[in-house]
Amino acid sequence: MTRTLTILGLESSCDDTAAAVVRHTPGRAPEVLSAVVAGQTELHADFGGVVPEIAARAHTEKLDLCVEQALTQANLPLSELDAIAVTAGPGLIGGVLAGVMCAKGLSAGSGLPLVGVNHLAGHALTPRLTDQATFPYLMLLVSGGHCQFLIAKGPEKFTRLGGTIDDAPGEAFDKTAKLLGLAQPGGPSVEAEARTGNPTRFRLPRPLLDRPGCDMSFSGLKTALLRERDRLVAQYGGLRVQDRADLCASFQAAVADVLAEKSRRALTQYLDLAPVTPTLAVAGGVAANQTIRAALETVCAESGTQFLAPPLALCTDNAAMIAWAGIERFRAGHRDDMSLSARPRWPLDLTSPSMLGSGKKGAKA
Amino acid sequence: MRPDPLILAFDTSAAHCAAALLSGDRVIVNRHEDMGRGQAERLMPLLEEVLAEGGATWRDLAAIGVGIGPGNFTGIRISVAAARGLALSLGVPAVGVSTLEAQAHGQTRPVWSLVDARRDHLYAQHLGIDPAPAVIPASDAADLSPVIGPHANTALPSAIARIAAARLAQGGDIPRPAPLYVRAADAAPPRDPAPVILP
Repeated sequence: MTRTLTILGLESSCDDTAAAVVRHTPGRAPEVLSAVVAGQTELHADFGGVVPEIAARAHTEKLDLCVEQALTQANLPLSELDAIAVTAGPGLIGGVLAGVMCAKGLSAGSGLPLVGVNHLAGHALTPRLTDQATFPYLMLLVSGGHCQFLIAKGPEKFTRLGGTIDDAPGEAFDKTAKLLGLAQPGGPSVEAEARTGNPTRFRLPRPLLDRPGCDMSFSGLKTALLRERDRLVAQYGGLRVQDRADLCASFQAAVADVLAEKSRRALTQYLDLAPVTPTLAVAGGVAANQTIRAALETVCAESGTQFLAPPLALCTDNAAMIAWAGIERFRAGHRDDMSLSARPRWPLDLTSPSMLGSGKKGAKA
Repeated sequence: MRPDPLILAFDTSAAHCAAALLSGDRVIVNRHEDMGRGQAERLMPLLEEVLAEGGATWRDLAAIGVGIGPGNFTGIRISVAAARGLALSLGVPAVGVSTLEAQAHGQTRPVWSLVDARRDHLYAQHLGIDPAPAVIPASDAADLSPVIGPHANTALPSAIARIAAARLAQGGDIPRPAPLYVRAADAAPPRDPAPVILP
């Protein structure tokens, strides 16, 4: 299919409600005509993490408002679009469900086709939206909820090389901030604190570096940090500001080391495919961390690999990536009907063994 | 142009998927399907069947009526989110109607309207007396009279459609439908406090 496509995307799988309109003419760079994100950080601030029921309540009453705003900003009525794309999983089911139902209402009333999109595919296809990356490229998806290496081989074809077996790094940043009395979300506050800290003062573990492969683990790192904190608090009757900065810097260095070394291993596997333009792309909020980004750039430079980091607004959860993944799926002939399900679990790569939630309900991501 | 305005109403606030089509003051279709789960997959196909049975299409609708609860949180959101999407795409108003009010439609007031709230509790509203619903222990219901509920009746979507029609006839602003949870979200602040920070 070679015609121009304009697609509305909806995203509500975690704590951001988003809507966006993206247009694409084959052979040209895609255009983000509008992108609206309504965050919920303040709603969850008191609870030290995203509360699924609170998130679902907010999504239900914000989705249609975001869609209206996105259409107004794009200066297009629904009738001039070609399809509606919506995140159908994986994620917090209450929010995903609200998004899927709103999208079904929009689709039924407008007669536009519906395309269910995998949230992870949205992130993984973003380098094609922002930089027209060509397949195959290596993707590191690193956010509050996810951490995995994927080789993107086609719009619906991903091979997972490895990923976290417990917490995601963004989650570890949030927990670190909580343990050290810093503001949520933890990514920016820990990074800011780390700037005045000594990254070598505390020897925090680099889990799984002693084992082959690309799997990672971050929950032990958090426990080691808690132990150091408790030791300092017991010694001084509280946490001294400089100790806190040193803890932040040491924690951040550990995460950066793990991601860099595992990226090196993932790159080796990826380069075996002999890609024409070797590329490592990142997505997810953690990719905004400057120390981590610098470590990844160094690894890429070693092998002459191009490093791609989309602008932050397209790295964190957004709907432009869902609209774009919708365009790719739509061009591949994919359509969903009104029985489309919201899926809390939906791994991108169905062939590799699952890492998370490999119980009877199947892999989470 | 149809002679009478058409209103499509639906509800998934309990273990059912239900819809009705109102033409003027006549209910031309009323469907109620018992359903423990799967409302998200069933709702839109059911609405299409209801429209087809009434000889109508989406474009013929003058308004949407939707049950906003109280009831099952997820169920309420399924219908409210769909109603808001439909209202936006069709350019028609969506009217949110309380389950407590809908099931007591046409009854002499005052009357106690009750809906199952699980965990041995009920959502209760003394209609005609008290404008706000509350959560009460199920054991307190024995003292209340007269009472409607707590079991959903199959005419619920028809009542939602009629109440929506009456509100539209009154004119004025119709707020977007919003879930009526009554209960606050279950969420507790973190247990371990942050450490004391020393200079």
